[in-house]
Amino acid sequence: MYGGGYIFDKLQDNQVNDDPEKLLLFEERIARGEKIEPRDWMPFDYRRQLIRLIEQHAHSEIIGALPEGTWITRAPGFKRKLALIAKVQDEIGHGQLLYSAAETLGKSRENMINDLLNGKSKYSNVFNYPAETWADVTVIGFLIDAGAIINQITNSKGSYAPYCRALERICYEESFHLKQGHEGLVFLATGTFVQREMLQDALNRWWEPIMHFFGPPDKASVHSEKLMKWKVKMASNDDMRQEFLNTYVPKIWELGLTLPDPKLKKNTETNKWEYTEPNWETFWQVINGNGPCNKERLKVRMWAEEHGRWVRDALKTNQLTQSVPLA
Amino acid sequence: MHSIKNLLYNIADDLLIMGHRHSEWTGLGPILEEDISFSSLAQDKIGLAYQIYKILNETEKEDLPDRIAFLRNESQYRCCQFVELPNGEYDFSLIRHFLFDHAMDLRFRMFGKSNYQPLSFLSRKTAGEMKYHILHADIWIKQLGNNNEISHVRMQKAIEVAFPYSLGMFETFPFEKELIELGIYQGEQEIKISWLEKISMILKEANFNLPDPEKIKPVFGGRTGNHTGFLKPLLEEMNEVYSSDPETEW
Amino acid sequence: MSSLDPRINRLELPQIPGGEILKNQEHWITYEVFHIKKRGDHPVHVGCVHAPHPDLALVFAKEQYGRRLACVSLWVCKSSDIHAFSMEDEDMFYSAVSDEKKYRDASGFKVRDKINKFKKGNSDALV
Repeated sequence: MYGGGYIFDKLQDNQVNDDPEKLLLFEERIARGEKIEPRDWMPFDYRRQLIRLIEQHAHSEIIGALPEGTWITRAPGFKRKLALIAKVQDEIGHGQLLYSAAETLGKSRENMINDLLNGKSKYSNVFNYPAETWADVTVIGFLIDAGAIINQITNSKGSYAPYCRALERICYEESFHLKQGHEGLVFLATGTFVQREMLQDALNRWWEPIMHFFGPPDKASVHSEKLMKWKVKMASNDDMRQEFLNTYVPKIWELGLTLPDPKLKKNTETNKWEYTEPNWETFWQVINGNGPCNKERLKVRMWAEEHGRWVRDALKTNQLTQSVPLA
Repeated sequence: MHSIKNLLYNIADDLLIMGHRHSEWTGLGPILEEDISFSSLAQDKIGLAYQIYKILNETEKEDLPDRIAFLRNESQYRCCQFVELPNGEYDFSLIRHFLFDHAMDLRFRMFGKSNYQPLSFLSRKTAGEMKYHILHADIWIKQLGNNNEISHVRMQKAIEVAFPYSLGMFETFPFEKELIELGIYQGEQEIKISWLEKISMILKEANFNLPDPEKIKPVFGGRTGNHTGFLKPLLEEMNEVYSSDPETEW
Repeated sequence: MSSLDPRINRLELPQIPGGEILKNQEHWITYEVFHIKKRGDHPVHVGCVHAPHPDLALVFAKEQYGRRLACVSLWVCKSSDIHAFSMEDEDMFYSAVSDEKKYRDASGFKVRDKINKFKKGNSDALV
């Protein structure tokens, strides 16, 4: 699961060094709806921004496995437990697919993980929040995964073929995540008073991170225009947020639950959802490492890499050729 | 038929606890690909435990699977102490997986010929799954044994820690003799003999030494409800949400 | 630090050192994975796995690519052992779909008009 594509680098000057003839052919190919494959010529900045996008997405998967992993041993009953392990396993699987897609652009998985651990590369903000109760797991499984699906279906129509191929498989698996999340949430919503209270509390706490999920409101810029033209960024943050609200708010309201925003409603004239802007200062604070769980998340990943090292080293091969996935 | 229940609880509880220990690696494995594989082992163990609790419920008139898995007291669990031990590092986890799965595989092969139909049916259903678990375990053991000094030493140490506990998988229990006479299965000793033969062969190929089973005192107790101090905290964790209200649906 | 994750509380979490934490190729090399959906089907490329050698590549591929999608077997081979044309040479393959090469395509051979005309001629002659 993922929510991102909102942190791109500023365009760099060396893009002017791109061969204008090749650039023209490249842009025409994208305009025709054709995909770009790993060994095609591509503008310097296309490669750079894609690596950034896909590695963030991959990090979000393996870090996103942690808040829900919290509840694996505690999940109530066989059905929830098995579904949760399978779901967290899928997140790791998605990370694997996405790192491979990014590797085709020339950055090794090792370097991507290094950049994750030393804070150079980001992941979705939403995973820096704690999953405090079992109800949090259902809210994450339903609403965060719903957001992720919107985001990923949008991205899967992009121009870079290996990323699209990975997303196709990921979207297929996410539909299971969404269903299992929805079911868990509905069971709590239609259960005892205590279960409903627990769920309402989780919704209240997760609402702001969910509103942050698609990133800050878009401002038109040369930067995002170019990324849209290259089909790296496929939809505006606000459009995706609108789509999310439109589909999922009614599914919360139909259960008689509330969301902590008195302004939240659909304007029947504009057909747009109106809401209170979440605190974007908090958003940037969390991105920059000051969320409630940033440190723990990275340390846990560090633990995994560190404790796995002797296992990997034992089987290390001395390959002379550099190894990059092909597609 | 009271005696079969003992056997079913032994196996299901072993699988349930082993699966939970394995699941602690999900998201934290030594490399993403192995994380995924190991997570499947966890799911398969817990899934198989569920199937056996289902037999207990449907055929032996015990309570519902969720209730027997997540509501009993510590002393009512019949798992061996081997599966309760914390994961430690990957060396111990892998060795335990190797020793445990070979025993489980041989046990289920034996159940294939059982005249207790629910078990022989389950045996056929899970054969493919078991095959993968064994393949996974054997390849890792061989690789870590033959490749580098550090890993060889670590794994050998883990074998020495794990082995006495692993013999606890074959602890006898009330009515075992009756089950053998009834043709349910050939008994723990038979499984242990084939198991020793199988694991010695693979460990030898991987250049590891298996301690002499004659000179090792097996760690028993699990089958009579005597557990290590590690089981209780794990059970409390496993049961935390479910037991907060077992009458509702989660 | 106390985590909400009991699994995590059982671990001792490390400090993160700066700089390069993972060394190059610490995650081994890549193998391409092909799956065979059912007997009689061609193997189809589905992705890759990182692995130190083919045995483990198969073990990993089995779960990463075979745990959800129906399949009866898998192939793996080192990524570096695959030889491929550059996509930029796709014009070289154009002849397969070119109009000038209709002479080797079934659609390049049409006789129905001739036959109809011939039949019509014959029947006209009989009148």
